Amino acid sequence: MIPNIKRVGNVVWEIPLGYRKDMRVPVRIYATEKLLKEMDEMVYQQALNVSTLPGILKYSYVMPDGHSGYGFPIGGVAAMDAETGVISPGGIGFDINCGMRLVLTNLTYNEVRPKLKELVDLLFQRVPAGVGSTGFLKLTTGEFKELLQMGAKWCVEKGYGWPEDLERTEENGCIEGADVSKISPKAIQRGIDQVGTLGSGNHYLEIQWVKPENIVDHEAAKKLGIFENQIVIMFHCGSRGFGHQVATDYLQIFLSVMERKYGIKILDRELACAPFNSKEGQDYFAAMKCGINMSFANRQVILHRIREVFSKVFNTDPEKLGLHMVYDVAHNTAKLEEHIVDGKRMKVIVHRKGATRAFGPNTEGIPKIYKELGQPVIIGGSMETGSYLLLGTQKAMEETFGTTCHGSGRTMSRTKAKQLVRGEQLIKELEKRGIYVRSVSYSGVAEEAGIAYKNIDEVIEAVALAGISHKVVRFLPIGNIKG
Amino acid sequence: MKVPLIIVTGYLGSGKTTFLRRVIENVKDKKIAIIMNEFGEIVIDAEIIKGKAVNMVELAGGCVCCSLTGELEYAIKEIIEKVNPDYILIETTGIAEPDALILNIENIKEVMLDNVITIVDCDSVIKFPDIGYVGKIQIEMGDFILLNKADLVNEEQFKFVEQKIREINNRAVLFRTVYCNGNLDYSLFFGYFIEKDIKNKTHIHHENFEYLYFEYEGKFSREDFENFLSNLPSEIYRAKGFVILDDESYLFNFVAGRINFEPFKYNKNKLFFIGEGIKKYKEKINEELKKILK
Repeated sequence: MIPNIKRVGNVVWEIPLGYRKDMRVPVRIYATEKLLKEMDEMVYQQALNVSTLPGILKYSYVMPDGHSGYGFPIGGVAAMDAETGVISPGGIGFDINCGMRLVLTNLTYNEVRPKLKELVDLLFQRVPAGVGSTGFLKLTTGEFKELLQMGAKWCVEKGYGWPEDLERTEENGCIEGADVSKISPKAIQRGIDQVGTLGSGNHYLEIQWVKPENIVDHEAAKKLGIFENQIVIMFHCGSRGFGHQVATDYLQIFLSVMERKYGIKILDRELACAPFNSKEGQDYFAAMKCGINMSFANRQVILHRIREVFSKVFNTDPEKLGLHMVYDVAHNTAKLEEHIVDGKRMKVIVHRKGATRAFGPNTEGIPKIYKELGQPVIIGGSMETGSYLLLGTQKAMEETFGTTCHGSGRTMSRTKAKQLVRGEQLIKELEKRGIYVRSVSYSGVAEEAGIAYKNIDEVIEAVALAGISHKVVRFLPIGNIKG
Repeated sequence: MKVPLIIVTGYLGSGKTTFLRRVIENVKDKKIAIIMNEFGEIVIDAEIIKGKAVNMVELAGGCVCCSLTGELEYAIKEIIEKVNPDYILIETTGIAEPDALILNIENIKEVMLDNVITIVDCDSVIKFPDIGYVGKIQIEMGDFILLNKADLVNEEQFKFVEQKIREINNRAVLFRTVYCNGNLDYSLFFGYFIEKDIKNKTHIHHENFEYLYFEYEGKFSREDFENFLSNLPSEIYRAKGFVILDDESYLFNFVAGRINFEPFKYNKNKLFFIGEGIKKYKEKINEELKKILK
């Protein structure tokens, strides 16, 4: 821990300006004392490096689930002045627009329990997982390019979803300004057959249970369609190899122009960036938006498959099973937004890497149905511990550019987790505890063991205490498909 | 016998592909299957053999280039089944964390990790002296580290790079290279240590490296032998061979401080050492080994 870190609020900590000469803004860390002590040393160094980037406004933020990542910490937030600031792929993450989707059912725990194995096995078969997994959609290059420009809208038009799904997706499932001419052929090649696939790593699809004692705000839960003992479906995935390739392509471009053309000096090459307003910056922004749309489309097609599977197993129409979306929200993006900074409304490019947009009530950009409540925030925990549904708040708008945490955050590397945990054994133990897991790889399961992560309840407590999110309900997994 | 596997890692643009080209040029007497990074395409003009988990191209020199289309585990099995290589070499993406890959490999029973080669761009370390999260992991895991693009930095800067790398990893063997050429000996990476290789020394073409070879009847205790390896002079970069420890015979592999034993049926102790200026240790090593021999 950095010795002169200051406590500036109950769960807010600050590394003041001047701690390092090159800082442009202070660093702010949202965490309970326990979480702060658990953070790895590199997080501080990375947050400090981010604080030196041109155009950064207010603070370089770390959310309570923060841990070190490529360049920026995961759980890092940085808002740059759109006029004078930079855009950095390391502040977005390689899995562009990776995010969470939450789907309701009108089924209860008792109705699903006897069919759980059948459901999970069929989902495992129909929603491909693993590094090289390919989807059932066979697209031509032309069709894939259309999808990159239209996102989930393309899928719904082709019959993979319901029109209401779009209203309940961030950006209505289709961000404007995605330009396929900024995409490399290699990115197209990597993504073209991956629509409708979970991928690997910490991506998953879960069947979860609303235990009555886990509803925190009954009124909000009711408005969101949540009831006691209900079964819901939550999944986590992103833009697969496509987003990865877009990030890789532009990292190389940025490295070659950053200093030579724009005179930007950074210490860590993983922070490669370009002025947002430059040609390279704008090209990346337009390419990254293709990644955003690819990811929305990916989750849309997966939802379609989930509806098919539930419909088959329960021999009932998906409409009658109440398979409505609550929301789809990303946690790896950079978006152009308007925020009030020092009393002035201005355009900013908000980097959220492993951090979720959490817009408060009446904020522009959230669905009409949630206008009064605030934007739903979906937080995935580890496969053992549970997940949360929160709401964005006005305080988040004021303090953190409308941003909160994204998950529980690793406490140990994948390597260490694999050394400590045997995947095969963990699957057996989870089954004893009533959680049925299917995965393509045992070692992948070990990476995602509960002990490899921070306590999700502690992370949520921190954002709730800080007032940047509002707790609604906690979900418990009963079935898991691990990517 | 398990197929030995080498990981080649390093940032984007550090010279991984150049290194693979050098391997193809220099290692003619081994069948090496090269898995281009998990998503990379094969950039060689030849007929591609399409498989379930991997596409392959056979090169004239005996090398096979592969690109993954499925899970690594299945790809490795497919490669072994189809081409039965002496070595498998995996090039990681410049942004991958090799430590996770190493653990994946440890779970695949058809292969054993032989060594990790990390390629560092010296010029980039000067420009961006804060080595980032992924960069650190890549350097930490390296048994052999190529300080590449050394022509782009001056002597003082090169020393700085060396020192930076040493702060992260002080056990690896460092090489100064330009376009991945330099004081390299491919027998160091590809361990030419089995009997036929020792007799046929045509591939040993580098004057800077010296080799030692010993043969003994009898056996060692595992503890004694591990102690012996741990205390080898630092100029010995690698040791490999067959040993009988207690009542089991093993293939052992020592790379830059990392020791591995793999059960292997053999009736003698044969030990092979490689390093810089190590001939002077010949008697000393012989005496030490004889002392612990039972």
